[in-house]
Amino acid sequence: MALLKVENLSIGYRTAGGMLKAVDGVNLSLEEGRSLGLVGESGCGKTTIGMALMGLLPPNGSITGGRIVLDGVEISALDEEELRKVRWSQVAMIFQAAMNALNPVIRVSAQMTEAIRTHRPDMDEQAIMQRVEGLFNLVGLPLERLHDFPHQYSGGMKQRAIIAMALALNPKLIIADEPTTALDVIVQDQILKETKVLQEQFDIGIIFISHDISIVAEVCHDIGVMYAGQLVEAGPAQEVFFNSKHPYTRALVGSFPTLAGPKSKLTPIPGEPPNLIGAIPGCRFCDRCPKDTASCKLEPPKWQEINERHWVLCDHC
Amino acid sequence: MSQSHKDILKLEGVSKFYRTRGNRYRRGGGTVVALSRVNLSLRPGEIFGLVGESGSGKTTAGRLVVRLEEPDEGRITLDGVDITHLKGGGLRDYRRKVQMVFQDPYQSLNPQMTIADAVAEPLITNKVGDPADRLERVLGVLDTAGLSPAEDFIYRFPHQLSGGQRQRVAIARAIVLEPSLLVADEPTSMLDASYSAQIFEILQGVRDQMGATIIFITHSMAAARYLCDRIAVIYHGHLVEQGPAEAVINSPSHPYTKALIDATPKFGRCEGVPTYGTYLPAPRPAGEQAGCPFFQRCALAERLLCSATYPEWRQVAGEQVCLCHFAAEGGQSPPPPEECRLGG
Repeated sequence: MALLKVENLSIGYRTAGGMLKAVDGVNLSLEEGRSLGLVGESGCGKTTIGMALMGLLPPNGSITGGRIVLDGVEISALDEEELRKVRWSQVAMIFQAAMNALNPVIRVSAQMTEAIRTHRPDMDEQAIMQRVEGLFNLVGLPLERLHDFPHQYSGGMKQRAIIAMALALNPKLIIADEPTTALDVIVQDQILKETKVLQEQFDIGIIFISHDISIVAEVCHDIGVMYAGQLVEAGPAQEVFFNSKHPYTRALVGSFPTLAGPKSKLTPIPGEPPNLIGAIPGCRFCDRCPKDTASCKLEPPKWQEINERHWVLCDHC
Repeated sequence: MSQSHKDILKLEGVSKFYRTRGNRYRRGGGTVVALSRVNLSLRPGEIFGLVGESGSGKTTAGRLVVRLEEPDEGRITLDGVDITHLKGGGLRDYRRKVQMVFQDPYQSLNPQMTIADAVAEPLITNKVGDPADRLERVLGVLDTAGLSPAEDFIYRFPHQLSGGQRQRVAIARAIVLEPSLLVADEPTSMLDASYSAQIFEILQGVRDQMGATIIFITHSMAAARYLCDRIAVIYHGHLVEQGPAEAVINSPSHPYTKALIDATPKFGRCEGVPTYGTYLPAPRPAGEQAGCPFFQRCALAERLLCSATYPEWRQVAGEQVCLCHFAAEGGQSPPPPEECRLGG
């Protein structure tokens, strides 16, 4: 059974201009111990999905259709009190800005014990402290820095502390939302490698959200490419990357420079993503698509099977 | 290239120190060395990459070049004229020739100014042309910066634009005075990966059409390889390797350059790609002040030599030079297999 199943999920935000459909009919599934990368440019809905999985949508956001099932429990139907129990113990999140995710006036040790104390009233203080020390060792933070304040940490150390917090209650699923964007290349590399090791060690499912397809391709088993609130291509990482079908995926792959191979010309993606307020009848990418045909604008595209695990939402692939 | 060309910009032994403030708990202030005796020379019409991590001093170097700050030591010359301590009218004239694109387009544009006003501001400050002439120029540079049709953009405000569009406005603003030198400080790091290609293309256009020389500051080796003719790698305020972009990236010589390449994401069939492993995950105790700047993190360092003696510049191949005791001539590594992609 899949650890996580997202079925036909739609999420909307109420805005002054009308209902903004941030996520529209997304299907995902994740097995235990696998990692799925969600890639797309800002505004494509990838962070919104992450927030919905945590039950942390902002007040003007709501799930307008579909369901999220984690380990047999329908998260999208839980009330706030039930959500609190699932949150962090079953599904944890590594937030985008590690710098801001820690409380600056509370010592790191106190922040780490807090989550454990809330969810595990059966553990005594000594056991909690032992657990925290174990987590520190796990992520490679020196124990003598346990009682420091967050500002005494470097960016990489803060991100490690956040990862340790996410692991605190042995969650089955971790959502990593751009965990390394604010970090330097070398630190980013270390954190990515450590995350991968920890994931394999504890058999955690990871949803890795990033705008950088090269990072996702390195870290994840599977990739889902998102565009304007929809999933447009999904499959094993190597397949999606080297045998990409959707014009948007191809554009993403072709738009960033590489360190090896021929120095081919980059192909920028022209234009901007569409406004998500109001209905879009046809394919959402057609304004920027080289394959654009008359029917693309009118008819929504259908999912095409490339092979058993590789799917694409385009009529012309 | 031969010796016949004239360098447009020269940095000679430039250092910059920042004093940190003491407080109640930590008495006295210390000195942070942001740049240490940096020598650089730029050729007219080239795109020169300055690569390093945050805190390496690459942004400080950019700020010194546009004279947002003054160096504490050394000399900076543009076209042979010393600009190190320019003031007043001289500095104003200098800034007409040297412009900067900042990292974060969400902060570098005034939210209360329309795009037309923002881009025209440098023209007004420098009393260039009459209003009609200015508008024409503004439309022209917006077009060069890839915002077309330009008429659609001039009455908009920054909040109505995406990050990529804002950065293009910032570039338009920087090139409206037709500078001979443009400093681009990580112009793509705040943007989506999909926008970087557009920005690269525009910068190339600025170089090709306007003949501007560009300093491209970045942390990404891949971006530097794509865009730059020559690159310099900077670590903790010290330049450590310099040379043609292709040579430095394909056969890096300094252990820190190798570490940067190791850290770049890889995917595909990468079995044949060398892993240099020159970066110590945990720093070793500091050496003497006079020692090699990379000593604490270098896996190849020899305790006695590297901790005590500052390395000399050595020629590796052609124009590629490296600041390391162990840099040897040659040392070509085989190119990675075609299917392996390194990016980021």
